[in-house]
Amino acid sequence: MTIARTLLSVVVSIGMAGSAFAKATNNELKIGISQEFDSLNPILSSMVASSYIRYIVNRRLTNLDSKSKWQAQITKELPTTENGLAKIVTVDGKKKIVTQWEIKESVKWGDGTPLTCDDIIFSRTVALSNNVSIPEREVYEQIEKIEVDPKNPKKCTFTYQNAIWNHVNQLGTFYLLPKHLEESVFNKYKDQKEGYEKNSNYTKNPTNPGLYNGPYVVSELKLGDHISMVPNKHFYGEAPKIKRIIIKLIPNTGTLEANLRSGTIDKISVLGLTFDQAISLEKKIKTESADFTVVFEPSAVHEHIDLNLDNPILKDIKVRKALATAIDKEQLVKSLFEGKQPASLHFITPKDPWYTDDPKSVTTYRYSKRQAAKILDEAGWKEDKDGYRYKEGKKLSLNFMTTAGNKTREAVQVYLQNQWKQVGIEIIIKNEPGRVFFGETTKKRRFDMAMYAWVANPENNPRSTLHSEMISSEKNGWSGQNYPGFKNPRMDKIIEEMDGEFNPKKRIELAAEMQKIYTDEIPVLPLYYRTDNAVIPKNMKNFKIPGHQFSETNDVERWTME
Amino acid sequence: MGTYILRRLIQTVVVIALISYMCFYLMTLMPGDPVELMIQSNPRITSEDIARLRELYNLDQPAYVRYFSWAKDIASGDLGYSRTYRVPVQELMGPRLKNTFVLSFIALLTSLLIALPFGIYSALKPGSRVDYFVNFLSFGGISIPSFWLGLILIIIFSVQFGILPAGGTETIGVEHESTWAFIKDRALYLILPVISLSVQSIGVFVRYIRSSMMEAMRNDFIRTAKAKGLSRAVVVWKHGFRNALIPLITIFALSFSGLFSGAILTETVFAYQGVGKLVYDSIMANDYNVAMISFIISVSMVLFMNLLADILYGFADPRISYT
Repeated sequence: MTIARTLLSVVVSIGMAGSAFAKATNNELKIGISQEFDSLNPILSSMVASSYIRYIVNRRLTNLDSKSKWQAQITKELPTTENGLAKIVTVDGKKKIVTQWEIKESVKWGDGTPLTCDDIIFSRTVALSNNVSIPEREVYEQIEKIEVDPKNPKKCTFTYQNAIWNHVNQLGTFYLLPKHLEESVFNKYKDQKEGYEKNSNYTKNPTNPGLYNGPYVVSELKLGDHISMVPNKHFYGEAPKIKRIIIKLIPNTGTLEANLRSGTIDKISVLGLTFDQAISLEKKIKTESADFTVVFEPSAVHEHIDLNLDNPILKDIKVRKALATAIDKEQLVKSLFEGKQPASLHFITPKDPWYTDDPKSVTTYRYSKRQAAKILDEAGWKEDKDGYRYKEGKKLSLNFMTTAGNKTREAVQVYLQNQWKQVGIEIIIKNEPGRVFFGETTKKRRFDMAMYAWVANPENNPRSTLHSEMISSEKNGWSGQNYPGFKNPRMDKIIEEMDGEFNPKKRIELAAEMQKIYTDEIPVLPLYYRTDNAVIPKNMKNFKIPGHQFSETNDVERWTME
Repeated sequence: MGTYILRRLIQTVVVIALISYMCFYLMTLMPGDPVELMIQSNPRITSEDIARLRELYNLDQPAYVRYFSWAKDIASGDLGYSRTYRVPVQELMGPRLKNTFVLSFIALLTSLLIALPFGIYSALKPGSRVDYFVNFLSFGGISIPSFWLGLILIIIFSVQFGILPAGGTETIGVEHESTWAFIKDRALYLILPVISLSVQSIGVFVRYIRSSMMEAMRNDFIRTAKAKGLSRAVVVWKHGFRNALIPLITIFALSFSGLFSGAILTETVFAYQGVGKLVYDSIMANDYNVAMISFIISVSMVLFMNLLADILYGFADPRISYT
């Protein structure tokens, strides 16, 4: 497939020269995506492409804006302890948080029905049903009860099980269902396994405007092909400028460019081109002065290498430090990514309020072959005639795994293999198809070094990846994502403290301590933050890639062609 | 003949049942299940979520229990629910199967209509300039990768000349005034994928038809027919072509059996809403219900087309009889 892709790129490059471009207008915007989308039921859909569509047609209580700041979306104000809308109460000796929400007066579903707190309560009821296959329901479970103000159906009080500081962030993924349309379906099928989802209006009648409360409603849907959306007449916010948005599925990323140039699509979404394709297209566009712009934005996806701390070689912190010191990350991102994917210091991204590069809080490993060799010497790994290091007759050799067929990762592997060879470490590359790599190898911790990515969302407590209780094992049903097997009592304590810490400054201090432990003990080798890319028409305004888990389409109503 | 067909039909049903169980069991042996795939994409899934989802999807049951539950649903007409796309399999696969059938059938028909005259002409004039030319084109057609040809076609006809759509199944958002307008629109989107798919099969069919026809024309009875003074048309079509049909029926039956399997590369390059990529993705994502239906369709098509081929042999060659 790699050869095929290369061949495709070459052919596209040759064939594209001199082709004509059509100018996009506000009448219609056709967006190409390369990933499939599933049902549009917001609490059920799990595909990334569905989230992309979801933010065009649905709005939530809170949203993370493109500056990584939490904002009230369909609500009037974010509840905080400062404005008195959030209060910590003690019930039976247990601390809980109670928050007050008020939905904006003008917020309605696409059929004109007002969106009220009853919709919020109904959505939670559906999400908590054992017969509905919602992937994760922590967001809904953490809320103990929701009570509606008898005088105002748009006002409600949330009582949480515990006093958690991140209640606002959590609600960014609390999705809303229209009670007036979905309640009868749910009541009829709630006792059947997956009965509700099979019969939901989102499945049976997805073009019903009443299912959506965002700037657009779905006017046509063909799974596996396209979705067409038109402005929602009852949208509470700024009126959308574009009269129709079509999202077209083009599964082959190699033909996205041809589709763009032939006018089949006007824009390629962040779910389109691979990084190398985007770089190559950007060069061509510059040469041809074509009417498109390639937009790059560092994202929250952190590419890293997990080190298996149960491996006798990697158990030694000196070896881990030597591995980190032997990598010239700046050169890596420069030579492989033209500097567009920035090198990372740790798992927190620069957009996160918790981010720090203060040397007091972060241990950095400046590239030095000599220093790396010295550390290995100290660890007892001595260089032999063959250029590799040995200790008690055992070679310093490690397996390095990643997902087979990922061109970028394979290039990084070769680069690192060469760097580590220079300090006497033998690296054996052993890649596997994604489903084996993630389904067996990382999950069951059968690796020495595993390269892959995590989404590092802002202010995200890394419980699942760094708490010792989250070391993936048979006992916990292989559910933890602490694949390196990292155990540090202080880290565990910080993670636990973090959940109940309401003072933002103190959270930043805790996060800094977390980063200090992480970079000191290096259970993971941080590599770089991936960059999102999109291709837009030159005359398109107000487009921004947010670079976090919420999609570029959150601002869709502001997009316009000039 | 009736007894033979009935016996074969019973055998076919038994084979489908056995193969379906084998496929189901083999899928369970693949690493990862739908829940594990969810875990990978969402680190916030808790161990409680995992236990809940496994129970909901029956993944906590042994493979044979799940198979019988699935078979029971199929027998009652419920094709199941896609765990990946979260829609009933019927709704997900129905339109795609239809699209794949239309594309594959037109490509097959086009291939046959072009390959038959060229193959027969080549066989009747072996070693001629036309024969060399046809052979050259056939080998060329067989050698060109369909995805590459697809891309070249897009660049020429869509990007450079802008006369045909680069991809898709139909024009989005257009209300067609008549059936004819709808057919015309769909036809536009079929031209490039059909060419891309047909070029290779034309090459293959020409080679088969040519060799089969040449073999038939070398028989003694052809010489006898010619000696009897029969017209060339009668010799070629009634005696030659009819005898060349047996191997061709086998090839065509096998080609027909693939009509619903989808042409993954062509469908992907032309963003054609077919079943090819859906089946691939469903296998990769352990979406059992979708994958199993596509297995059943593929197996059934192969078995039924083989049965049809066996029946057609009897019509093509009266010496073959079924008792």
